[in-house]
Amino acid sequence: MSVQDYMAVKAARTGTGISLRNRRILIHAGIFIALIALWEISSRLGWLDPLFYPRPSAILNSFWLIFVVNGNIWYHLYVTLGLVFLGWVAGSVLGVGLGALVGFNPVVRRFLKPYVIVLEATPRIAVAPLLIAALGFGAPSKIAIIMLVCFFAPFINTLSGVINVNEDRLDLFRSLRASKMQVLRKLVLPDAIPVIMAGERLALTAALSGALVAEFIQRDQGIGSLILIYTRNLNMASAFACIFTLTIIGFLIFKGMEMADQRIAFWKNEPGMKRVSDRRRRAMAIGG
Amino acid sequence: MNATRAPSTDPKSEPQAPIVIQGAGVGKTFGNGAVIALEDASFEIRQGSFVSLVGPSGCGKSTLLRLIAGLIDRTSGDLTVHDKAVDGPHTDVGMMFQRATLLDWCTSLENVLLPTEIIRKPTKADKERAAELLRLVGLKDFLFAFPSQLSGGMQQRVALARLLQTGADILLLDEPFGALDEFTRERLNIELMRIVGEVRATTLFVTHNIAEAIFLADQVFVMTPRPGRIFEIVDVPFARPRPLSIQTSPEFNTLVAKVRDILGEDH
Repeated sequence: MSVQDYMAVKAARTGTGISLRNRRILIHAGIFIALIALWEISSRLGWLDPLFYPRPSAILNSFWLIFVVNGNIWYHLYVTLGLVFLGWVAGSVLGVGLGALVGFNPVVRRFLKPYVIVLEATPRIAVAPLLIAALGFGAPSKIAIIMLVCFFAPFINTLSGVINVNEDRLDLFRSLRASKMQVLRKLVLPDAIPVIMAGERLALTAALSGALVAEFIQRDQGIGSLILIYTRNLNMASAFACIFTLTIIGFLIFKGMEMADQRIAFWKNEPGMKRVSDRRRRAMAIGG
Repeated sequence: MNATRAPSTDPKSEPQAPIVIQGAGVGKTFGNGAVIALEDASFEIRQGSFVSLVGPSGCGKSTLLRLIAGLIDRTSGDLTVHDKAVDGPHTDVGMMFQRATLLDWCTSLENVLLPTEIIRKPTKADKERAAELLRLVGLKDFLFAFPSQLSGGMQQRVALARLLQTGADILLLDEPFGALDEFTRERLNIELMRIVGEVRATTLFVTHNIAEAIFLADQVFVMTPRPGRIFEIVDVPFARPRPLSIQTSPEFNTLVAKVRDILGEDH
């Protein structure tokens, strides 16, 4: 903050007439354009093999083709994102549920711990072929793979959130003679929400990777399959267009989760507290 | 001097208030008797009185508080609150801790309403009472603020208002201002004295600060460690509420020296 202030003051002094923010945007844009230009020129001059490293202009053209002219990516996008969503929800429900269950039950925790460690040490994606063998090709095995890769973060985070309840607060609830259910609903779960949300963020990113791996293996439909097919056909420009589409989706997911986090765990950020505080003040005023 | 002294029976001009908390030979051990947290505590606490528990770490002061609250079970002796033996958490007492233990996701008002919410859905009257209590502790402009937006001292004020919201007539305060700076603590002590006077609560106040213990209390339980016990009960004769300046009076300092002597004698 202070550095920014300092720079702002400096900018004001030098009198460039451009605000700090706009100057930054200009610099970012400049670097980006330079990189793209470098790539395009390297390709045209033959420094990069255009077969494997297609030109930015070719990739842009592919974007136009697969999104507009042929419009073939939409269906695959829909399939992949549908899987990601279903697998993520299923994995999260399982992870949060089991995490809470294990967190509340010290006995279960003790006997379950070795298996959790084993599961954590095993790369989950290695189990994917087995799941396909067991469940067959198609959506169920894909969803199972996504569940498997995104189960763990919500599980561990919920578990630690539930275990690490402040002792003093627990004493407070006991001294108020709160029931177990009240302790759970009014203390433990709200207290664990920020850390559970952090787990969900990791899980959703993992779910996207899991979906791609499942599609790589099954090669039937979805963005993963599409990338595979384009690469096989040496249509690298379209493969790159698919990859950059995933980049954009990944970014949107990240931003979306960040926004959800700020709304749900509102007490962890100043705008969130202000929003809820104002709302409750109004509610009280209306209530009398 | 090593036996627990009998509770104070100083004759006062006014008729004595009824006894609300009574302990006879109360003891608490942990780990099958391996650790004696509190031994043979006998005392009587009268309605509306302010009792400080002072002593070094391990003297059993927090243990005694938690026993009275029913949060832990005693291993020996008799302990009654309002003539009923203590067996588990009960609603006659309200507790306050060194850390405010507020719920971060609740506004001041919601935090104060928590004790009510545990019992029933808060009514409009409950909410008004909670707002009134927040005014009483000097937070009328912070009804809808969240704990992280409040200073440490303000957070403890919310905790105090929440304690009063329980409607308990016995307040158990476990070093409530111990984590605050000296100035804030002094100011809050003054306000605490005013507030417990206004609501006529019986108050037990744990501290390791001798001057603070004497300044606030009618009686000081001087406690010593290994094993934890009430070594002596010292009466403080000044009328409450008291001005801060009383701390510089010779009588006050005689009492401080007396308590310090007792605590110094034993270790």
